[in-house]
Parts: sequence; C-alpha cells; structure tokens
Amino acid sequence: MTRRDLLKSMAAAAAVSAAEAAFPGIVFPAQDKAAPAGGGPPAPALPNDPNLAWKKTPCRFCGVGCGLLVGISNGRAVAVKGDPASPVNRGLACVKGYHSVMALYGKDRLTRAMVRKDGKLVPVPMKEALDLVASKMAETIKSHGKDAVAMYGSGQWTIPDGYVASKFMKGAIGTNNLEGNARLCMASAVTGFMTSFGLDEPMGCYEDIDHADVFVLWGNNMAEMHPVLFSRLLERRLKNPDVKIIDLATRWTRTSMAADRSILFKPQTDLAIANAICHEIIRNDWVHAGFVRDHVSFHEGKTNIGYGLEDKFTFKDEPKTVGFERYRELLGDYTVEKVEALSGVPARELRYLASLYGDPKKKVMSLWCMGFNQHTRGTWINNLVYNIHLLVGKIATPGNSPFSLTGQPSACGTVREVGTLTQRLPHGDVTEEKARKLAAEIWGVPVERIAPKPTYHTVEMFRAVDRGDIRFLWIQVTNPMVTMPKLRRYRDGLKKDDRFIVVSDVYPTPTTDVADVILPAACWIEREGMFGNSERRTQHWDRLLPPPGEAMSDTWQIIEVARRMGFEKLFPWPEATHIPEIWKEYTRFQAGPEHEMAPYDELRRRPGVIWPFVNGKETKWRYNGQYDPAAKGAFDFYGKPDRRAWIWFRPYEAPPEVPDAQYPFWLNTGRVLEHWHTGSLTRRIPVLHQAVPAAYVELHPTDAQRLGIANGQRVRLTSRRGALVLPAQIDGRARPPEGQVFVPFFDEALLINELTLDAFCPISGQPDYKKCAVKVERA
Amino acid sequence: MNRSRYFLIGLAVLLMAALVAVAGQSLIAGREPARVMPVTAQATPTLPTEAGMYARVARAADYAAMPAEPNRKRTREAYYARRAYPGAPPVIPHPVDERQAFGKACLACHGEGGWVPRFEAYAPVTPHPEMASCRQCHVPQAGQPAFRASDWHTPAPPALKAAAMPGSPPPIPHALQMRENCRACHAGPGAVDVLRTTHPQRVSCRQCHALAAPAAEAFARPLTLPSPPGEEREKTP
Amino acid sequence: MLRRGAPMPIKSYLAYPVSGRLDELAAALRRLPGCEVIPAVNRDLLVLVTDSPDEAAEAALGLELAEVPALQALALVAGLGDAAIDPAPPISSARHSSGGRS
Repeated sequence: MTRRDLLKSMAAAAAVSAAEAAFPGIVFPAQDKAAPAGGGPPAPALPNDPNLAWKKTPCRFCGVGCGLLVGISNGRAVAVKGDPASPVNRGLACVKGYHSVMALYGKDRLTRAMVRKDGKLVPVPMKEALDLVASKMAETIKSHGKDAVAMYGSGQWTIPDGYVASKFMKGAIGTNNLEGNARLCMASAVTGFMTSFGLDEPMGCYEDIDHADVFVLWGNNMAEMHPVLFSRLLERRLKNPDVKIIDLATRWTRTSMAADRSILFKPQTDLAIANAICHEIIRNDWVHAGFVRDHVSFHEGKTNIGYGLEDKFTFKDEPKTVGFERYRELLGDYTVEKVEALSGVPARELRYLASLYGDPKKKVMSLWCMGFNQHTRGTWINNLVYNIHLLVGKIATPGNSPFSLTGQPSACGTVREVGTLTQRLPHGDVTEEKARKLAAEIWGVPVERIAPKPTYHTVEMFRAVDRGDIRFLWIQVTNPMVTMPKLRRYRDGLKKDDRFIVVSDVYPTPTTDVADVILPAACWIEREGMFGNSERRTQHWDRLLPPPGEAMSDTWQIIEVARRMGFEKLFPWPEATHIPEIWKEYTRFQAGPEHEMAPYDELRRRPGVIWPFVNGKETKWRYNGQYDPAAKGAFDFYGKPDRRAWIWFRPYEAPPEVPDAQYPFWLNTGRVLEHWHTGSLTRRIPVLHQAVPAAYVELHPTDAQRLGIANGQRVRLTSRRGALVLPAQIDGRARPPEGQVFVPFFDEALLINELTLDAFCPISGQPDYKKCAVKVERA
Repeated sequence: MNRSRYFLIGLAVLLMAALVAVAGQSLIAGREPARVMPVTAQATPTLPTEAGMYARVARAADYAAMPAEPNRKRTREAYYARRAYPGAPPVIPHPVDERQAFGKACLACHGEGGWVPRFEAYAPVTPHPEMASCRQCHVPQAGQPAFRASDWHTPAPPALKAAAMPGSPPPIPHALQMRENCRACHAGPGAVDVLRTTHPQRVSCRQCHALAAPAAEAFARPLTLPSPPGEEREKTP
Repeated sequence: MLRRGAPMPIKSYLAYPVSGRLDELAAALRRLPGCEVIPAVNRDLLVLVTDSPDEAAEAALGLELAEVPALQALALVAGLGDAAIDPAPPISSARHSSGGRS
C-alpha cells in the first residue's frame, strides 16, 4: 500500500466514522465497516490468507469441554467455529466459546514480570523474577519448614501444569500444601464419589443424554452454566416430545422457562427431598430388589457434623455397615408430608418426582453442579442422589445416569485426576503407603520424602496464611481475592507483612493487586496442553500462538523455579518435548483398566479421548460388565472393597446461618452465561461485557415493592461480615422467590464474597456460597 | 329332578366362576398405581426475556425441515417500509373488518403463520400473542394522498453482519421488549429473507447470540474499589 | 480543517443526494477525476474521497462538483496533504467545521 493509498483510506475512514456518529447503524459495504458488537474498530473480513488454518482445541471455559476450531492467521487468532467432529458439542458452542479467543487480546495483558519494591510493582526481567521466587521459597523453607510454603492452583490448570506442581510440591519439596480452586467447586462431588463408589468421576458419559427419557436438574441453571449440554437436552426433547425436563431449584431461571416443570424448594432442603423420594420408592415397592441385593450395601455415618467455622476444624466420619431394614427405618422421618412442610414442595410433587425415578420404563438422568457441591452438606447430598438411582437400579447403563457436572474445564483432568489436592497423589491418597511407593518410584525420589499426612484444604490453607503458619503462597490461574468466602479475612491475611505472595496470571486482578511477584502467564492456546472435562474426556491442543512479551506457561514457570531450587533431575525435559514427556510419565500412574489414559499421539489426533482407554477402546460406562473391561459380571463397583455401591443414610441438617429477624433474606450467589468466574477474561471481551456490564442483585417483585425498590435502583445488602451496594434487577434474567436475593460474582468492583460465609462441608472442605443471611434495604 | 338340569346349572356356575377368576386376574395384573397430577406450590412465573426464547419451541423442528421460500415477498425493504422507524408497530397492509379489533381473528393467521393464498405470501408471526388488543397499536392504511408533506426522517435499521469476528454468532442489535420470541421473526417461511436463521432447530438462541448494550462503557479496572459505608480502603497500585 | 495550499490534497466528504437520486449521484461522482465513491447500504448517503494532483485540479474539481444535479449537499470531513502527515482532526470538530458546498 502506498502512502497515498494510506492517506486516502484514512480520509475515507474519517468520513465513515463521521457518518456512523451521525447515523447510528449505517453500513458501508466496501470495507465491511459494520460497527461490531461492543464497539471498537470494525471487525476485519476473514483475511485472504492462504495459510489461514483451523486448529482444534477444547474451549477455555466451562466443564462441558466443547471442541472448538480456532482460525489462526499471521500469528493471530481471528475466528472460532464449533468443531463438528467433537462428540461433545457437534459443532455448536456458546457465546463465551464463540468469542473466547478475544480474551487473549485485552490491552492490559500482563506481558512482563513485576516485583513489589517499596510497595510499588515494578517491571523486571522474567529471569530475575523467577530467581526471586526460587530464592524466597528456599529461604522460607529453611527458616520456617517445608510446610510454610504452599501452592494454590486451579481447575483451569492444564494437566501438565498440575502434574509438575504435584511433583514439585509433593515429590521435590515434600509438602502436602498443594490445593486447587476445584476445592471450592467440586470437592463435595469428589467425596460423594469416594464415599459412594470408592472411585472418582461419573460412571456414565454425555451419550446418556441421547438415551434418557427424563432429565432431573437438581439445583443447577444448566441453560446458562452448561449451555451446550442443555441444548443437547433440548434437541433430545425436540425429537422425542415425551422426554421431560424437570427443573428442581431454589429460584426461577432461564432453565425453568425451558423446563417442562419447575419445582422450587427451600434452600438446603434438597437433602430432605432426596430422602423423601427414596422413602416413596420403598413405600411403593419400586425398589429394584435384584440390583440392590447383588450390588448395593447400606451404611450410616456420623450426624451433627459441624460447619468448619473455626480454624483447624477437623472431622472424621465413623461409618457403620447396616442393612436395608435399618436404612428403611432411618428414612421413616422423610415421608412426603413431613418433607412438604420442611421444603415447601407439595407432597404431590414429591410423589411425582418419585414416580419418575420409580417407573421401570423410564430412563432417568439426574444432573447437578454447584447447588449440590457448594453446600455445607455437599458430600451428603451427592450420596443421596446416588441412593435414589441405586435403589431403582438406574445407574451405569445408557440413559440411566446420575451425572455430576463439572464447573471448570479441567477440574476433573487436573485437580482430581492428577490430584493437586492436599490429600491426593496422581494415583491414590498420601495416606496410602502403596500410593506413596508408586509416586516415589515414578518420580525417582525417596519414599520418605512424600509426606503421609494431608495438611490443609483451601479454606484452612488461607486461614493458615492469615495466622502465619504459611509464609509463602504461589497462586496460579485463579483469583482467590474475589472468590474466597468471607473475603475480607483472607484478603487482609494475604496482605500481612511477612507473607510472600506470587501470582501467575494473564491480566491484573484483585489477586495480582496483593502480589509481591507477578509472573505473566501464557494463556490457553499460547502453549500446548490438555484439559479433562466432566465426562472423563481428555482433550489436547497444540501451541497455536506465541505468548506476548515474556509470558510463560505455568508448567514452564514451575519447572524453571524447581530447577533453580536444585531439582533439575526431577524436571529434566527440554522445552521442545516437555509436554509429551510429562504425559508419558503421568500416564504411568493411571495404568490399568480402571483408569488407563490414551497415548499422546492418540490425543493429538482425536477430538478428545474418554478414559479408561483400554486396548484402543473408550470405556463409556464404568462398572457395567458389558462396557467396562475392568468390571466382572453384570455390574461390578470395583472401587469399594465389597465391590458394591454404598448407599449412605444421610439426614437433613440445617445450614449454619439462616435468615432471622435481623437478616431476613437468603443470599445466593452464582454466575451468568456471559461471564466466566471472576470476569478477568470475559469482561475484556467487548461482546460479553456489553451483554452484562456489571453485577446486580435479583429481587422478587413483591419484596421489591414492599421495600420501595424499583428496577435499577440502588440496594444495600448487609450480612454479618460486610455490606455492598448494588443496582436491583427485577424479573430480568431470573427471579428468586420471596425472601431470597441472588448476586452474580463476576464483577471485581462488587465483591459479593465479602458478605458470604466460610462454612464448609466437613467431609470435603468445600464452602457453601449459596446460603447465608442478609438484610436488604434501599440505598 | 332332571339330571341334565343340575348339569347345566353346574356348568353355568363353573363358567361364571371361571369368568370371575380370569377377569379378576387380568384386572389385578393390569393394575397400575394411580398417577396423581401434581400441583405446583408456586406457579412458575414468566420471565419474559427467558420464556420468550422458548415459546413455540415445538415449531423449531418443523422450520428446520421447511425450505426457504423461493420468491421472497418479505424482504428487508418491505419489512421496514411498513414501520415508521425500526421497532415501530407495523401497519396492517391488508383490509380488516372493523369488528375484529380484538385478538382472536388476527391470531388465526398471525399466531402460527402459514400460507395465505389471497396475498400469495406467508403470514408473519407475532412475537407477542399475549397482547390481546391488536388494533391498539396496529392500524390499516387508507392509501390516500398526504394531508400535508412531512419532514420525518427515520433512523437507520440495525446493521447486519455486526459479528465480533468473522463467523461469530452476530449479537442482537435490537431491544428485546415485545420481541423476546426470536422464532417469530427469525424462523419459518414467514421470516424476513435476510433475517431467517439457518439453524431454527437450535432453540436456546441467547446461548450464542448476546444482547449488545452499546451504551455501556468498555471494561476498565476500578482505580479504587468502592468502600462500604464507614470503611477506608486501600488504593490499588 | 482544510489546509489551504497543501500540495496533492486528499479530501473526504459526506455527500447527500437529492431525494431518491442516490444511484444517479454515485454514478455522476464516479465519472469525475480522482473520485472514489462509497455508498451506504441502508441510507441515502455516500462517502466521497477525492485525490487531486495539485491545487489547480482541486479547484476545478470543486466547480464540477457544484454542477452535479443530483448532489443535494456536501460536508467536508477530512483534508490531508501529502507534504506532511497531518492526521484528520477529531471527528467531532470535523463535524462542526464541515463546510457546506451546496
């Protein structure tokens, strides 16, 4: 282009802009100058680049794990398509996925390392920052012991990220101070699996959707949170009008609008409802007697188990094996009439739900996510939904599927399967000698180095930082300064003197605001990696783009620091091949028909592979002899010593804080479709930001009228822990029932977690973000 | 007594007993537990923007099977010609009976659409069938010369092709009020030609198509976090 | 802002046609020397970019433009000279300063 051409196009652009300002919506065809959504420069036409390549990757966002094709042209991501070859989404994505690559191009992207000197963050060369991290970590270990350093990672970590973190913390340094934010997202699902089945992760897969006749959504707004999977449900119903979608929730959402029926219950009473359904099933003799006799055993545990509100809270369950009769007796309190009074769900509705589960001609898929997991009795409610399916024998066959949906793209693949939790190793628990021996052998470290006792789960870990028992914390790919419940305490804790905080991230966030060192991270397709989604599908992507500036993948950051601390022998791999080498080493932990992972080349070739991957075949339904090579007989729950699935009797227990005279409303928190978690990625995507620019508080119209609040007016929410002023939203995206409010947590300027409570499930350690008490007034 | 009489009576008794036994057995075997129709505690409210998306969802499969209408009458120009400005209630382009001011007559064609032989066109479907008083907003035109000339200028209609990236799902350039039901205007043979969606069977429209609020400013990190009453907060660096 | 005496001037305008005569205007303008026309798709308006080798040609072009019958109004948006790179003034001031050549 000559200079004159450049000037002419500048002049033309000026005229076009003037026209657009004077006549909004005007369109000029020549240079495709339509004003794109959200403002900003006009979207270029797809470049006439003969090298434009469409490359596969799993989506960066939720736990559905859609396959995407990203258009790469001249070193930039320019477009996105759903991958038609992916069995997960079959070419469809959602608004976040379609615009996901725009998250890489925010103007305030972190490209340089920063170190806090005299209270101010100054840029330094990456090498210097990594030296500082390593030396500070070594120094802290020397002066305060190896349990004074900790690492907090993420369900958005890739599998190699998590693997090197585990090897580093547990194999090299020898501490169990390793946690991931999936503790706040999926921990109760994990302990639910472990107590009911002895092994983690669903026994079915997404293909169950194509076979089920009834979908019961328990406390999850699937239309917004797992939108592409919900579209699969809608498609199934469109083709088979007898299929029913039941929305069982604490508030009315988009999902309620699409469902065949929407049933509201009072918060926490899901425990009672599940028991009432089991009671009905037994009362009507809908129990699948043969299945129960051959494949189920009955157990009860402790009750009145507390809420973890005190530091160093510990809990150990005392399981007792009981029989069916004892179980039936314990269920005696859960008649539909009694549960109607407790939950607000009419007895007839409870009977209706039970009849759906009890009907031998109907295949039922139950789906749940945060409503069950972010729950002070999260482990229990996970057990209870399995109880329903086990009583009627509707499990581990196509269409009959209690399916625990995962929130994050790799909470399964990384945090749960690699085991980046205080009590886990890549295979087995730290408390199991066999597991420690295996880790020691594969890692090449002395077995004594691997600590046999878990230290802290996430909430306790941040409490330990606050108390000073932990002095060094390295945070990667997560934003705890927005997401920790009872946020003030933990933010103040991290800001204390003599706490060294290292944060690896892609954008400045409230967490980088408290960092002593910021390490710029390569984001998603800027480095090679793998994620593992809700249905046990591991998906690989190549490095598609160069990371900006000095940004470096989390995997490589950990390797660089580990080498500086003298652990080169444990992290010997050259950068060019480190990912396949890490995969090879990691998969040794999972060998065997119960968890075999696909080889690297297979992962590269295919749109993901479900594990177990045995003799070239995916095990789609585990524990079922027909589909699972590890199962002997028709059904074989080989995770448990008695090779049976365990039904646990779990009672209803109230939450620790309920509305009262002073704080008369329930506060519920969650997400919206357009924003991912704390919004650090999605708010920098103009389309998504423009769709939902700021947080708000949802109010029932009757409550609003009583309080004199109109739509959009400012409302003050106050809890025992903090207060916040937000605009009201009445009958917009969703409606809570009377006496309840809902606030999305994506907005870092409206930190709703300052009001929430850090009570957690004593078995899993996962906090409850859905229930605490607030006062609502006009501001 | 006649022997054959006893025999006949016995046979009748036997047959009746057999009848009772067989009928009773099959009745008991075929018995199902009574299904009680559930009653909701709180009737599900309608959230207009959310429920509207799923209205008439049963049509989605039908629309997917319908080919595009070859001689499109309903062009974008024709569409906007009936509206004083984008978003205005369209005028009624055909004669109407004065007695048919309220809903049912209009919905006969505009509730579900369909081919209208008299106009040789597909009737457009209303996105707001719940509004019963149609002629409150929609009026016919007499076709007379102007009383006095008018200087009215209409704003330009929403632009097409405003996707953020090539191939991205275009965002929704118009407000949703009274247009919550995407299917009414964007699917089916009555849809405006350039607006007709290629994928009517995907019914959760706003999963991919975001509503743009162009008035909102671009995202910028707050320089100071807002303080709750009575509390000092540190500035971020 | 128009820089008088800028050598090899490049200018851009918004051109309004007489009601209903957009196509005629576009055709007429395209015939003029050094003129590039970008009509709007959904409005009766077009962008005109002129590129003249020197001041004399620019003045002659101005007279010809005034003669185009289908032209209702012409609003100057940007004027650039090749001698120095003068970026176009901010849009708002361009609008205020747009001259009318009717």
